[in-house]
Amino acid sequence: MFSFTKKQKILDISGIHIGGQPGEYPTVLFGGMFFKGEPKLDEGKEQLKKMLMLSRLTGNPAIPDFFIRKESYIEKILDFIESTLPKKHPFSIDITVPSIKIKTLEHLHRRSLLSRTIYNSIHIGVTEEERKALKKYTPAAAIVVAFNPKDKSPDGKIEVLENSAHLLDKGLLAIADEVGIKNVLVDTAALAPGENSGASVAAIPVIKEEYGLPAGCAIHNVVEKSAWLKNFDSAAKVVDASSNINIPLFGGDYAIFGPAENAEFVFPIIAWEDILISEYTENYFGTKTRENHPRRKFFK
Amino acid sequence: MKNSFYPWGGEFTVCSFNSCIAVVLLQTNYTPPRDVAVFGPVKTENIGMEKIVANVISNPNIRYLLICGDDIRGHLPGSTLVALHKYGTDKENRVINAPGAIPYIENLEAEAVERFRKQVEILDLIGVRKNEKIDAVVRDCIKKSPPSFGSPYIAIKIMAKHRWAVTDDKRALHSKIVIDYMGKIKGRGC
Repeated sequence: MFSFTKKQKILDISGIHIGGQPGEYPTVLFGGMFFKGEPKLDEGKEQLKKMLMLSRLTGNPAIPDFFIRKESYIEKILDFIESTLPKKHPFSIDITVPSIKIKTLEHLHRRSLLSRTIYNSIHIGVTEEERKALKKYTPAAAIVVAFNPKDKSPDGKIEVLENSAHLLDKGLLAIADEVGIKNVLVDTAALAPGENSGASVAAIPVIKEEYGLPAGCAIHNVVEKSAWLKNFDSAAKVVDASSNINIPLFGGDYAIFGPAENAEFVFPIIAWEDILISEYTENYFGTKTRENHPRRKFFK
Repeated sequence: MKNSFYPWGGEFTVCSFNSCIAVVLLQTNYTPPRDVAVFGPVKTENIGMEKIVANVISNPNIRYLLICGDDIRGHLPGSTLVALHKYGTDKENRVINAPGAIPYIENLEAEAVERFRKQVEILDLIGVRKNEKIDAVVRDCIKKSPPSFGSPYIAIKIMAKHRWAVTDDKRALHSKIVIDYMGKIKGRGC
């Protein structure tokens, strides 16, 4: 359990706080929606309801992460956000195809949703057109992925934030700044086993001490890519959910935990871990635990 | 998994070492016949693709690389692999004309990529849905029985040079211990 010397930035994204010293704010949990096939809106509504209920119970903020695979899904998913998500509640959009990213930004602007949007993500594959679109339609926050194909260590992740490992004209943090992103969350890029998977966890305290920015990752991706776990069927879900404790334990601020349907496992596990951490950091470092923290919820 | 014939490891199934064809699967449940050399999925247009290149050139018997299934949106590892074979990489190690999001070859020597381009012929069956058609192409390649490319090429993984210049940067977890920049814990004052 850590306390950072560097002053930590605390982001306020449409009412949800992310960042700070370990034990200060609860870990923010991003649950993925509409990963596969045609978006199933009724199913999504139920998942969202459940995730927000778990968030109210534990104190860990929930942010739905909407995966938009096709251009034809944009309107449908944005309609869903407007009609189902509580007003002002932030959400993230997870899109891999640059042209769909740009189109979605235009739609978000038209619907006045950019102030609630977390852009997932800016990485070294960012295109010129995407940069222009981000400048024109700037979301409230962006996740900046520190994936460096040359060097998967924490040093390599810092390199890509600083200078894009010379693969682009400037570093990813400078690009985020250039397009006007005020709130940056660093994703330490969890890679498959055999690709220095542990570096994504080790990089969290390094990046927080270096920049004071909120950091986290999608550590569940490592579990997903652990093919050997298929031999332990009944344990796979437990491993997947509990992998997320590595993030707050190493001082991280948020976890992108995979499908929202896993929320029922992830929220209690992370709330439990947050309590453990905050007890120590408050007692030893004097870190003040905020009101909405699980420790305040369960131990008045 | 790692295999002595395929030292870079990955998620693949080894079949017949002497076979002339390997199969790359993209989001498909298709299972190739057991007389191919090796088959397995690819998900990323950088690390995953590098493993395929390195593993393929370590078995000189492989002269065909068949790619089938539906390419993965955004990342497009299948189409990126086709582009790598067709155009190679530029001086920034970016795959020329690659459609994928982050199409870089950073952990392989240029010589290994060139060897890959020379050793195998790509059979681009991306989007083909009929398994019988894919099976027929596999059978046809095996029937041709091309000669081995020669000696195996064992690609060395390029490791990043680390810059651990900071040696006196210490953080406390507890007053009795210090943690240095490398993550080593020792007693304070030791």
